[in-house]
Amino acid sequence: MFFNSLHFAIFLPIVFLLYWFMPNKSKTSQNIILILASYYFYSCWDYRFLFLLIFSTLLDYFSAIQIENSKTQTHRKFWLWLCVSINIGFLGIFKYYNFFIASFTDLLNSVGFHANPLFLKVILPVGISFYTFHGLSYIIDIYYNRIKAEKNFVDYSLFVSYFPLLVAGPIERATHLLPQLKSKREFNFEKAKEGIYQILWGLVKKVVIADTCANYANEIFNNYNSMNSLSLILGAVYFAFQIYGDFSGYSDIALGTSKLFGIDLLKNFNYPYFSRDIAEFWRRWHISLTTWFRDYLYIPLGGSKGSKWLKVRNTFIIFLVSGFWHGANWTFIVWGFINALYFLPLLLSNRNRNNIDEFHLGFNFSSLRILLNIVLTFGITCFAWIFFRAKTIHDAISYIKRMFTDLYFAPQYFNFERYNYEIIIMILLFVLVEWNNRHKIEPLSGKYSWLKLSLCIVAIITLGIFTDYKNFIYFQF
Amino acid sequence: MKKFFVFIIKILLVIVLSSVVLDYLYTIIYLKSSKRNKIEYVLSSKDKKFDVVFMGSSRTQNHMVAKLFNDKGISAFNFGMSGSKLDETALLLKLMLERNYKIKNIILDVDINLNSNSKSAGTRALYMPYLHRSETISNHYKTHVSFNKLFYIPFYRYIENDTKIGFREVFFSLVNKKSNALDNFGYFPLKGESKNMSYDLSDYSPKQNFAYEEIKAICKKNNIHLIAIAMPMCEQSESDTYFNSIKSIYPEVYNYENKITDNNCFSSCGHMNVKGATLFTEILLNDFIQNKFQK
Repeated sequence: MFFNSLHFAIFLPIVFLLYWFMPNKSKTSQNIILILASYYFYSCWDYRFLFLLIFSTLLDYFSAIQIENSKTQTHRKFWLWLCVSINIGFLGIFKYYNFFIASFTDLLNSVGFHANPLFLKVILPVGISFYTFHGLSYIIDIYYNRIKAEKNFVDYSLFVSYFPLLVAGPIERATHLLPQLKSKREFNFEKAKEGIYQILWGLVKKVVIADTCANYANEIFNNYNSMNSLSLILGAVYFAFQIYGDFSGYSDIALGTSKLFGIDLLKNFNYPYFSRDIAEFWRRWHISLTTWFRDYLYIPLGGSKGSKWLKVRNTFIIFLVSGFWHGANWTFIVWGFINALYFLPLLLSNRNRNNIDEFHLGFNFSSLRILLNIVLTFGITCFAWIFFRAKTIHDAISYIKRMFTDLYFAPQYFNFERYNYEIIIMILLFVLVEWNNRHKIEPLSGKYSWLKLSLCIVAIITLGIFTDYKNFIYFQF
Repeated sequence: MKKFFVFIIKILLVIVLSSVVLDYLYTIIYLKSSKRNKIEYVLSSKDKKFDVVFMGSSRTQNHMVAKLFNDKGISAFNFGMSGSKLDETALLLKLMLERNYKIKNIILDVDINLNSNSKSAGTRALYMPYLHRSETISNHYKTHVSFNKLFYIPFYRYIENDTKIGFREVFFSLVNKKSNALDNFGYFPLKGESKNMSYDLSDYSPKQNFAYEEIKAICKKNNIHLIAIAMPMCEQSESDTYFNSIKSIYPEVYNYENKITDNNCFSSCGHMNVKGATLFTEILLNDFIQNKFQK
């Protein structure tokens, strides 16, 4: 059940009505309805993996209580590592087993040994990376006494399985979400309205921007051998907007949906393509994952304390792990590595927290410099996306090589009967709208909201891609 | 909560209103357009007279050089449409007759389309703008599984077929941008020669085709001479078994499959290039002039 499907359009109002209009409404009954809805939502992907989700919930729930009740540090450690190992173990088997086996076999073959590896025919359970990280953050927070273990199983189950964030985040924190689930929610019109605006804008991003860009990016990446330099450069740009529209669109719909139930989720995107350097980009892109790695990996490793060598090591670790989190393929690891390389000069010159404040532009050189930095950051981000999108490292390198050696810059007419200029106009309009609303959550609220809402609806109806359906990219992670 | 329901109802109203207005606008634009495809051309014309009309799929569109017929004083037009199956061809013929076309002969490419009774969603999409304006079209699709949604939900047919009749196409129609579909009397030339061609026909077998039967019945009723043919494919297709067995079901089909065999006449295995199309049309024209096609 995708957020942009008819199935979801029927499911959501039913859950909404049950949630707000059930007799004897209480916090528990609200949570039970959301749990049942979430389990139904998840079983629509594959009911078999529902057991995995329930097992993961039980494991984290009981481990957390055991950690809290442990009298000795050894016991606490035991329960922490048991829970972490099982969680990571599941992730490893379902997501990374075949990758490790294939890489190990390649290594053996390269030194002259012949191996017959045993590959598993496993389907990746949707959202496993998200709910595993979800549970891990909870367990680690308990271990470090940041929060108390949740004794109410219903509340905890909902924290893990809450359907708006279940399959592609944002990766929530117990400190943020659990307190909201511990009290009865009252309907708030302004919040619900904001939610609807966010859902609509998320749909524009997904079905208008991302899916249209996907057609072009797929055409260019799948046939890069017959593309000229201009098309290859544009291919990377199209993919940049595809993945942004797709994932931030998904996040907007998730956050908007959750607001309908009176629950706030963590903000996941903050106009990342308007970043002035790569450090700022990573503070604005997939924020819930970046902060997760910061809090549960980077800081425990020493963070930015210690020698320069330690800082560099930690930076590379966090980016490589982040790349690997996205998928079991060397392309993601190289993507992480490239981002670490981008980050390195800022880190070494202590400029990685330079661009924290908001910027305002005027007619002066400083504004011009900001704009140039934004374009440069976007450019290097697009370059890194080539590795993220390519099927193999070889493909990515061939793509880049051709981009710099073909040197032919005429507009190409694609096999699916489209020119570049058609999509460029759409992207420019989208950038303009986002730029003008970069200080808001979504562009629909405020003055002329009905006009903007109507334009959004018209854009979804007329420009949305409905026949050539494309999955949300982050579902595969 | 009451406020919220009013808000949602207003949004639903915007959706319904937008759909109705957009549906109306799109339809009006398509009704005024006549240069983008052959269906528009037929619907915007009346009382045309043709000695020969070519009908079928892309193999007709790319193979029948209608100009060669016209040069000999035989008025001809190629109404072949890329992707079209016999079902959509039958509908186009019905529309022609509805528009009072006077046709003496139809040369219809049936060959590969006899393999199944399938229909073309892509070509069907091109008929959708006229669903409410042409009884012939709405009657033709009455049994289609999504007919009620396509007919009664405003704008649904444009959403369902967005790649064919969506915003891009309506924009081009609005600005009157001409397509090449009607150039060269409807013939679309293919260039180049393909290497390593193949077309696996091993799973193909000709079957009784309801749309073809319908075309035959329409032609009989309107006194049109129907010439059903099978056209050449590249040598690698190993299509002899399939093409020979067409005769066992429809003996009236003229088999031209082996008339052109040289690979340099093909742009792809199922589509001849300009050289092949010209050679083939000349053969067909010659047979036509010599009255080799029995009535």
